[in-house]
Amino acid sequence: MTAVIEVSGLTRHYGKVKAVQDVSFQVEEGSICGLLGRNGAGKTTVMRLITGQAFASAGNIRVFGENPVENAEVLARTCFVRESQIYPDSFRGKHVLRAAAHLFPNWDADYAARLVDEFRVPLDRRMKKMSRGQRSAVGVIVGLASRAELTLLDEPYAGLDAVARQLFYDHLLADYSENPRTIILSTHLIDEASKLLNHVLVVDGGELLIDAEAEDLRGTAVTLVGGHSAVEQFAAGRETLGWDSVGGISSVTLTGLSDADKAAALAAGLELAPVSLQQLIVSRTRGTIQPEEATS
Amino acid sequence: MTAAATLPGPAAAPHTSLHRMVTTMRVHASNPWTILATPWLVLFAVFALNYAIWQLVKMAATGPLAPGAFTQNGGVSYVLVYMVVVAVQAMNQTFSFVVGLGATRRDYFLGTSLVFGALSLVFGAGISLLAWVERATDGWGIGGAFFAPWGLRTLPIWQLVVIYTSLLLLMFFGGSAVAALFVRWGANGIIAFFIGLALVIVATLYGITVTESWQAVGDFFTRNSAVVLAAYTLPISAAAGVLGWLLMRRATPKG
Repeated sequence: MTAVIEVSGLTRHYGKVKAVQDVSFQVEEGSICGLLGRNGAGKTTVMRLITGQAFASAGNIRVFGENPVENAEVLARTCFVRESQIYPDSFRGKHVLRAAAHLFPNWDADYAARLVDEFRVPLDRRMKKMSRGQRSAVGVIVGLASRAELTLLDEPYAGLDAVARQLFYDHLLADYSENPRTIILSTHLIDEASKLLNHVLVVDGGELLIDAEAEDLRGTAVTLVGGHSAVEQFAAGRETLGWDSVGGISSVTLTGLSDADKAAALAAGLELAPVSLQQLIVSRTRGTIQPEEATS
Repeated sequence: MTAAATLPGPAAAPHTSLHRMVTTMRVHASNPWTILATPWLVLFAVFALNYAIWQLVKMAATGPLAPGAFTQNGGVSYVLVYMVVVAVQAMNQTFSFVVGLGATRRDYFLGTSLVFGALSLVFGAGISLLAWVERATDGWGIGGAFFAPWGLRTLPIWQLVVIYTSLLLLMFFGGSAVAALFVRWGANGIIAFFIGLALVIVATLYGITVTESWQAVGDFFTRNSAVVLAAYTLPISAAAGVLGWLLMRRATPKG
């Protein structure tokens, strides 16, 4: 495996605002990497830095082994689609696709036309007259049909309906397996997207909080539900992510449980509930955790 | 599908700097209406209105009209204003769109400059051609002068080409430099620019007055023909172009 993106000590300040603070990570070739975090956590800024659109205050970025800023070779292999993309006032959907066909060397016009049909994008409508979902669909089509080796999608499906989102997931996976590439996806809909992701980066307050394989991350946390004293006894001395207590029933979310620990918990009469990626991230980004329905 | 198509690499297409500039030009032309069709259509509409008014005046007039009555017209300057707007849009929206999709600022700026140059030539030559038709038809049969009004009426056509092209270049690059100030520093940049511009103008007027040079300034404008004065705008346009580039090379696409 080779790293497509190598970031070390990356920092970006806007005046006193620390949008990105000393972030280091790598993204391996061929991975689908989720860049997750709350609003204002710094996700978009990280993507703008990777694509050379924003300038780093400090630190080092290598994309395909080179500095991306004003680097035509690197940028030609990169596609960055974001929800808030600016379009010229006079541009209609068809103008955007025409421009994208010129800008991306691997553009697949037939594929783009198929996607336009499936997402039902009104190509003759001005971009600024489109609904949020329709604008997002145009962005998604550009992101998929550009077939760029490195594709960054920032909140790509804001405003898309459930059918269109499912279409997007299906197309992303299908096209990914036919045309392998590296994808970075930022989204709020963590649970929906989590089955796509094989790597997860979580940023919070401009800092990198989690950098892990999605598979490893899913296994790290578990919620235990049971009688108050039993739960308290089991949780003593362990790393807890969240507590909840109703009547005599308590639940606690723990990380770092081994299989033996889980067996011991079951033996102690506790119920084990899996913690979804979304719950885990919510709890790790200083929210509270809501246990999923208990399964024994 | 071939292996080369499924594993796209840098070798997929040789992308020279020239190619990428041409790409930017083609992106501008993705919607050719804005930069090619609309300005001509509006210019023709303005001309048609003027022509109709000339006819009205002629019908309403009781006696013969003064010679050259229909030759003082500013309608053609509409194109200059339109191109300032095109330049401002190019620095604001089109820049954010094209660089947002992964072009370098350098390729965008150079490609856009080529578009500005080409549009200046197309419109400079086109308006001059219409001025030639205007003269050949004795002012559209009514003694009017729309495409070469005022003092431009008597100038050779090639001088009109130089004058219009130079003025359009000034609009494009002047407009894009001011727009670049906005892109980098927002409204504050524009306010600072116009305060600075006002200071420079007042200081210049002051300097001319103190050194009693008004005669010399007047001489400069009467001694030099319109085509020479137009040529004097070329270094100003070039300086504005360099300033625009220095500002845009560190600009971040919006959105």
